[in-house]
Amino acid sequence: MSKLLNSVSVVVTNKRNLLAYAFLAPALLLLLMFSFWPVLYGSYLSFTDFSLIREVHWVGFANYRALFANDMFLTGLKNSLLFLLVVPFTQLGAISLAVLVNNQLPGIRWFRAAYYVPVVTTVSVVGIMWGFMFHDQGTLNYVLLQLHIIAAPLGWLSDDALALFAVMFVSFWRGLGWYMVMYLAALQSLPAEMQEAAILDGANRWQRFWRITVPMLKPTILVCSIMSVLAALKAYQEVDVLTQGGPMNSTFTALYYAYDQGLKRLKLPRGLAASFVVSLCCMAIAFVCLRWLNPGHRK
Amino acid sequence: MPELRLVLSVLLLSFGLHGNAFAVQKIEFWTMSLKPKFIPYFQELVKNYEAQHPGIKLEWVDFPWDILQLKLITAIAAGTPPALVNLSVPWAEEMARDGLLEPVDTLLAAPGGTNDYTDAALADLRFKGKVYGFPHYSNVNVIAYNRKILAAAGIVQAPRSMDELLTQAVMISLKTGKPGYAPALGKIDGFFMQQGLDLIRDGKAVFNSPAHVMLVKKLAATYKSGGFLKDKLFAEDNFPAVVDAYLGGRLGVMVSAPTAIKRIQTDAPEIYAQTGIFPVPPGPTGINDGGWMFHFAIPKGVKKKDIPEVAAFARYLTSDANQLAFARMAGVMPTTKQALANPYFKKILPNAGASEQALAVAANSMNSARSLYVSGIDDYDELRRFLVKAVEAGVTGRRDIQEALDEAVGIWNRKLQGVKLP
Amino acid sequence: MSASINKILRTVSQYGLLSLIAIICIFPFWWTLVVAMSTEGNLFEFPPTFWPRGISMDNFIEAFRVIPILAFYKNSLLITLATVLGKLVVCSLAAYPLSRMQFNGSKLIMGVILATMILPSEVNFLVNFITMTKISLVNTYTAVVLPNIVTAVSILLLKQAFDEVPQDLLDAARVDGASEWVIFYRIVLPLITPWLATVGILTAVEAWNEYIWPSIVISKPEDFPLSAGVLYLRGTYGSSTRVIAAGTILTVAPILVAFLFTQRFFMRGMDGAVK
Repeated sequence: MSKLLNSVSVVVTNKRNLLAYAFLAPALLLLLMFSFWPVLYGSYLSFTDFSLIREVHWVGFANYRALFANDMFLTGLKNSLLFLLVVPFTQLGAISLAVLVNNQLPGIRWFRAAYYVPVVTTVSVVGIMWGFMFHDQGTLNYVLLQLHIIAAPLGWLSDDALALFAVMFVSFWRGLGWYMVMYLAALQSLPAEMQEAAILDGANRWQRFWRITVPMLKPTILVCSIMSVLAALKAYQEVDVLTQGGPMNSTFTALYYAYDQGLKRLKLPRGLAASFVVSLCCMAIAFVCLRWLNPGHRK
Repeated sequence: MPELRLVLSVLLLSFGLHGNAFAVQKIEFWTMSLKPKFIPYFQELVKNYEAQHPGIKLEWVDFPWDILQLKLITAIAAGTPPALVNLSVPWAEEMARDGLLEPVDTLLAAPGGTNDYTDAALADLRFKGKVYGFPHYSNVNVIAYNRKILAAAGIVQAPRSMDELLTQAVMISLKTGKPGYAPALGKIDGFFMQQGLDLIRDGKAVFNSPAHVMLVKKLAATYKSGGFLKDKLFAEDNFPAVVDAYLGGRLGVMVSAPTAIKRIQTDAPEIYAQTGIFPVPPGPTGINDGGWMFHFAIPKGVKKKDIPEVAAFARYLTSDANQLAFARMAGVMPTTKQALANPYFKKILPNAGASEQALAVAANSMNSARSLYVSGIDDYDELRRFLVKAVEAGVTGRRDIQEALDEAVGIWNRKLQGVKLP
Repeated sequence: MSASINKILRTVSQYGLLSLIAIICIFPFWWTLVVAMSTEGNLFEFPPTFWPRGISMDNFIEAFRVIPILAFYKNSLLITLATVLGKLVVCSLAAYPLSRMQFNGSKLIMGVILATMILPSEVNFLVNFITMTKISLVNTYTAVVLPNIVTAVSILLLKQAFDEVPQDLLDAARVDGASEWVIFYRIVLPLITPWLATVGILTAVEAWNEYIWPSIVISKPEDFPLSAGVLYLRGTYGSSTRVIAAGTILTVAPILVAFLFTQRFFMRGMDGAVK
């Protein structure tokens, strides 16, 4: 204890330290208030019957019990897991796109920009535009009909078997450009000699891609995949703008449930409990992945 | 010094005289999803009222319905609630139960007068014996029927009960090959309630009783003979499909509010020309369907001394004249007796089109139009989904009706056990 | 001969593939624009309109009338500027000591900052909302901006930027007796301007596009930023699809235009993040 006090007093009295912490102060204060406090307070509140207008009482695990007995939340959990399907498609697609645009063709800059446009568009607008595309008489159905892939227009957002996949597709559409840029940066930092040597050895594009490029991209792939997995588990904005959880609650995701319960129906403790569960899952996955990535090596 | 005293008293007097001018009362009222269509209406209303009442400053705020509750509770929690808020009946019931609304029984009429609201409207807002809002607008369904189709089926008169309506639907299907009726079975809970069948009694789900099963059996029989439009029959919102079918001449009868009838006039004039109107048969409870009333309530936290003025404005907002004007603009129904008795609703020219007839028929039904809903249950949507799926399985013949309903009742009861009902 | 034909074929197919994908990415925007500019024809018929019919700006004018777009623009600008300013100031202040100063606990602080990257921030909305209500900041733009001022990514990017400043410059300045603040403000900061621009632009786009948090915190729909306000076109009493489309175009056009001019910053920002 005295050792701790000692070190703290050393820290505090050292002018250099004081200065450093002075610089850091505003950021740390804000982080404390808006990133750490919510986690602590939120977890506490999830064990109460908190409401903005009534007294607060401790209720133990009641909220969690209600949560796991609740069909909508369970659907949400299931859907959040289903959402993980998006990850491999997004990553493969992004890598392929990156490879495709990793050249000096004239005008390639514009193509890269085009693929990034979905990323810079606000989600609300994305929701409205894809709402148009998914309409019964919308373009998507038209194209599919013309290509004879379907026989009659499908209700992408109104059929409870399809809606979740429609939402996932939009998530995929937005994610492609984002990860493409990351892979592009990684690709551009790869040494070219290995590719050249392989060409000399007579390897074709396919072989070069799988045998050389992909293995060398491994670190980036791992990082991007983790980010993608976490993003899929936390997906809820696309649900909000496209279907608001419908039809018949089939597009609820775990976090959307938290948002819906907490802010639309003002059942804050229930929403907090749900988001706590999601947080736990995300942190668990993050830890497992980090361990697996850097065994015994701290970043 | 005497001069000083004189100056001081003059100053004090003048402050006193202008005292009222300084004490302007601000009344903030919230509406639900009424912008931008009604911007001119409310701006006019505000202007007129402020001109007549110099000490009052009105502020009109409109919210999309999905965030209204959040903003309202936040405002109440922050101690800055609006003076009046536009609510639907179920939300008002919930808030009144939580003690968040002020009862307004004594404020419904100007001091010394009587109020003109319909009994049904007031009954909707009476919770635990007290009235909690100033009724504003509502709606009620009427039956729009395609004369040609019904004639071909040999139907000449309005159905007097749901049974008769179902029979007519079957006849239409048999004689014309077209479906007769498209009930919103996704809202089977309201359907049951209108026929006088409770969903819950004493905290237990009871919709697997013989009476309920009998009704579902009738629905299944009608379905089997093609009497129902199959499109989206069990969807949460089957209205677009119903309208499409009726407009295309593929449906015998459409049950909806008079506003929808007006749409037929613009979108499909030929069908409109052959549309007639029947009143919806009231169920054994005498309640008319489609009533979904909106009103203005006073939230808790509004200062006691402000309430008389707030109530005066609320009465103005929901006065006969203003309700009539609003109803005409919005195609909804007012909730005051005088407005409902207005020639706009009552006087029908001999060759009036369907939409005028609809208004008259609706006006007649308004006094028995009640909002039907189930109160006090957490996660009600989820429960309803089970019920709808069970009814769907039963009506389409996939499962035995009693079995399906029993299963749903079991699910409901398991959930209800964890919930406190009032 | 065949080699060059091969090459031409290769190039053509490359462009073809690139274009196909570009179409999938851009088409929704195009269709929305077409609808916004059309005043004739049935929108949702087969075959759908790929080209505007009856071109006019009527829908855009109507959009201005139906929702307070100018107010939304103003609100968005305000929020964006405040967020960018706040972030650049606070995060550069924080990144500097982490990069160029030796002090006790720097590893701990780094760890803390990295930890926030793992914490799912979406879940903070609920509690931040409660916090804002309790400190009476609800319904202010301050409440909208504050939680977004500090992000781990920005601090890390700026730290990298500071890392690249040659140590000799600092040493010389310190020998000259300059205080740390002067070194930071007068010497180092101007040197990382390109990075500040990158972080600034990335932040601006994020702030402009955020719609959920502002709609939770701000009470009156008229005070919403554009990204939240445009959603209410959909629920508005009787808004036609064309007007919704027009409003959507008005919302997204500024960001797209800005993006086209500043693409390289995004790519560079991603570069830094990858490292």
